[in-house]
Amino acid sequence: MDILNDLLGGFAAAMTWQNLIFAFLGCLLGTIIGVLPGIGPVAGVALLIPLTMNLDATGAIIMLCAIFYGTAYGGTITSVLLNTPGEAASAITTIDGYAMTKIGRAGAALTIAAVGSFVGGTIATLGLVAAAKPLGELGLLVGPPEFFALMVVGISLLVALAGRSMVKALISGALGLLISMVGIDPVAGAPRFTFGMDRLLDGVSFVAVIVGVFGLSEILSYRKDPHAATVHAPGLRSLLPSRTEWRRSAPSMARGTGIGFGLGLIPGMTGSVSSLLAYGAEKKFSRHRNELGKGAVEGVAGPETANNAHANAALIPLFTLGIPASPTIAVLMGAFLQQGLTPGPTLFTENSEIAWAIIASLFIGNLLLLLLNVPLVGLWTSILRVPASILTALILLFMVIGAYTINFSVFDVFVMIGFGLLGLALRHLQIPLAPMVLTLVLGPLMERSLRESLEISQGDFGIFVNRPISMVLIGIGVLIIFSPLLKLRKPKALDEDPET
Amino acid sequence: MTRTRIAAAFAAAALVALTGCGANAGTATTAGDDFPKKGKSIDLIVSFSSGGAVDTAARLVQPILEKELGTNVEVINKPGAGGQIGYTQLTSAKPDGYTIGATGSPSVVVSPLDPARGAKYTRASFQPLGRQVIDPAVIAVQPDSPYKSLKELLDAAKAQPKSMTASTTGLQTGEHFALAQIQETTGAEFAPVHFSEGASQATTAFLGKHVDILVANVSDVNDLTKQGKARVLGIMTAERSPSLPDVPTFKESGYDVEAGTARGYSAPAGLPDAVAKKLEAAIQKAIEDPAVVQKMNDLGLQTSYLSGGDYETFWAGQEEDFKKVLPLVQKKD
Repeated sequence: MDILNDLLGGFAAAMTWQNLIFAFLGCLLGTIIGVLPGIGPVAGVALLIPLTMNLDATGAIIMLCAIFYGTAYGGTITSVLLNTPGEAASAITTIDGYAMTKIGRAGAALTIAAVGSFVGGTIATLGLVAAAKPLGELGLLVGPPEFFALMVVGISLLVALAGRSMVKALISGALGLLISMVGIDPVAGAPRFTFGMDRLLDGVSFVAVIVGVFGLSEILSYRKDPHAATVHAPGLRSLLPSRTEWRRSAPSMARGTGIGFGLGLIPGMTGSVSSLLAYGAEKKFSRHRNELGKGAVEGVAGPETANNAHANAALIPLFTLGIPASPTIAVLMGAFLQQGLTPGPTLFTENSEIAWAIIASLFIGNLLLLLLNVPLVGLWTSILRVPASILTALILLFMVIGAYTINFSVFDVFVMIGFGLLGLALRHLQIPLAPMVLTLVLGPLMERSLRESLEISQGDFGIFVNRPISMVLIGIGVLIIFSPLLKLRKPKALDEDPET
Repeated sequence: MTRTRIAAAFAAAALVALTGCGANAGTATTAGDDFPKKGKSIDLIVSFSSGGAVDTAARLVQPILEKELGTNVEVINKPGAGGQIGYTQLTSAKPDGYTIGATGSPSVVVSPLDPARGAKYTRASFQPLGRQVIDPAVIAVQPDSPYKSLKELLDAAKAQPKSMTASTTGLQTGEHFALAQIQETTGAEFAPVHFSEGASQATTAFLGKHVDILVANVSDVNDLTKQGKARVLGIMTAERSPSLPDVPTFKESGYDVEAGTARGYSAPAGLPDAVAKKLEAAIQKAIEDPAVVQKMNDLGLQTSYLSGGDYETFWAGQEEDFKKVLPLVQKKD
């Protein structure tokens, strides 16, 4: 009951008309910034922090949280409509999001994404209210060996993303791992595969690779089939998801919430891991898994829900332990510090009113985002009324600007073009692209946790099976890898579709 | 009436004279007198992950730098390889004042010393602009650990070398050097685990009890001790820290070990004088700002400002010290 009282107190403090205006402005500005290519939540929040400097602590944090939600959703809009992800976490949404756009379901995709974000975010925030402390401790159970084991589970989902040929999926996955090796060795500090180029010391930019491999290569492949470029602008009626689409998204949202929430609790996990694994889970477990990649609503609902559940769950380690679990949260933490608030358990004892007002504002922010964006879906999708030839040119322009704005460097534009050509070659060879993205994201995290684990065990690989959590996780990974051989699923589903 | 009018006239005349002076001083220098250009933002590169001590300090001085310089200052995190990624980016940037960075020792001092790391910079690649803090190293155990004093812990580690794991924030970082210095002076050897993503990852692993010993700076453990989640057994400075008054120094316990981190701000070498002067002044203002000093105190960090020139001398002295213990922290496998 105490919690309920505190929370209601928080709502009372957060619901002043000034704070609501801040939250509204934050969502709006965030969405606009997020739509700009290349600017994801981290840069978006950092960019807009000065706007909040003169507000009181509650107002400032409320506005920043709203900006944070807004930028995340803005990135989704370009992923779905223009095949250009605004940030890493919505990269995987391009696959089915853009496919939905091509069959005239852009409005439905955007609405589902907004609703999924709302559901994931709200449930994660409820978790923060109900059980922040034990959940925070739960995240700590994941040490380097468990982290590595989780990555094994993640990589094992490669089987689900494989498509027709396992060998081709492995080629794609190995390529992703290879690309993820580029840059300075995170442990020993030696440069790897940089060919003496300083620009490569940081590795290749993930967003540039994604935009190239998915977006650019798709446009380049239109040359073969000019009709493929045609997208159908949705009519007014088809802006909203159909009843079937709603029904099909519900289980995906549930899975997405679970994955995003669980991974969000783990310090060091990024939101893009959540959305990727959620997509992998849809590929593996969804009833309509055969349609994924061709504009299935599950491919939008799962990752987008996971993404937002992750973002909100990542606040739990911040509130309970004072640990920023992801780069975006770290930017928020900086804003806390500038307001004289030290995030962590002491926040609830020393500044309890502000702490609860912030939590209340997370609910408000999630709701506002939904209320703001669903009516705007019609506006965003009207972009698609632009004739295909012009729209394609516009998308190309958007991609170049997007690659450039990641680091304001032309080098990334070349990276994007290079990977566009690579993507075209892979498409031509019918090598699936999703496994490459998966390993590209998971590779560095996997390497880091592997090396940390082996330092803890001083070289003994037994550490991965001697610890119960890690053993179970690795077991799950192995099971997923061998599941196609064991035919755990109904074999009929496999035969239905030539893609599988 | 007349008197106020005269006063006003004087004030106006003085103002004109002052602005005149300013204009003259401006034209006297050649490059960089229009620095910073309006609307062109300055990148402040932090070579460690966000949320750590370096990042927090940078984010605290950032708004004051913005006010002093009249333009946006953006904190950019480039973590990895014990700071080397960020330092490389900093030193390869154009020395025009629009790229500055947080520099911390030992990372910035050590990375160019070991040829195996292939660092593309040396001390001469940096132009120090000002030192902000010295953050002493501490050693802490789990709250339920059987070791209640530094001597008990070190004796146990001496009896069974490498039986306990200890966190560092990466190969050849301050924490790794501190472990090497402990080994050199006392003979106690821990198994280092390098968390290359920085202090928050190391702390997380310690809180989850995945490592036995937390080697960190005072600022990292300040809040942890308040929450009772870590028991700090010793601090590696000459004097006790005001934020951890109950923790004995290594010297008090009979071990001659001093280690820690010093942090400041630098630019790539070769800044035009006028730009360097403006940046140095703004950085001094930001570091010594009472609100910043207070917030740094709250985080367990004692401000100890040094000008650009003095910071450079200090840097050179540290380089000499580290050369001596370097073999102990080099990767042998």
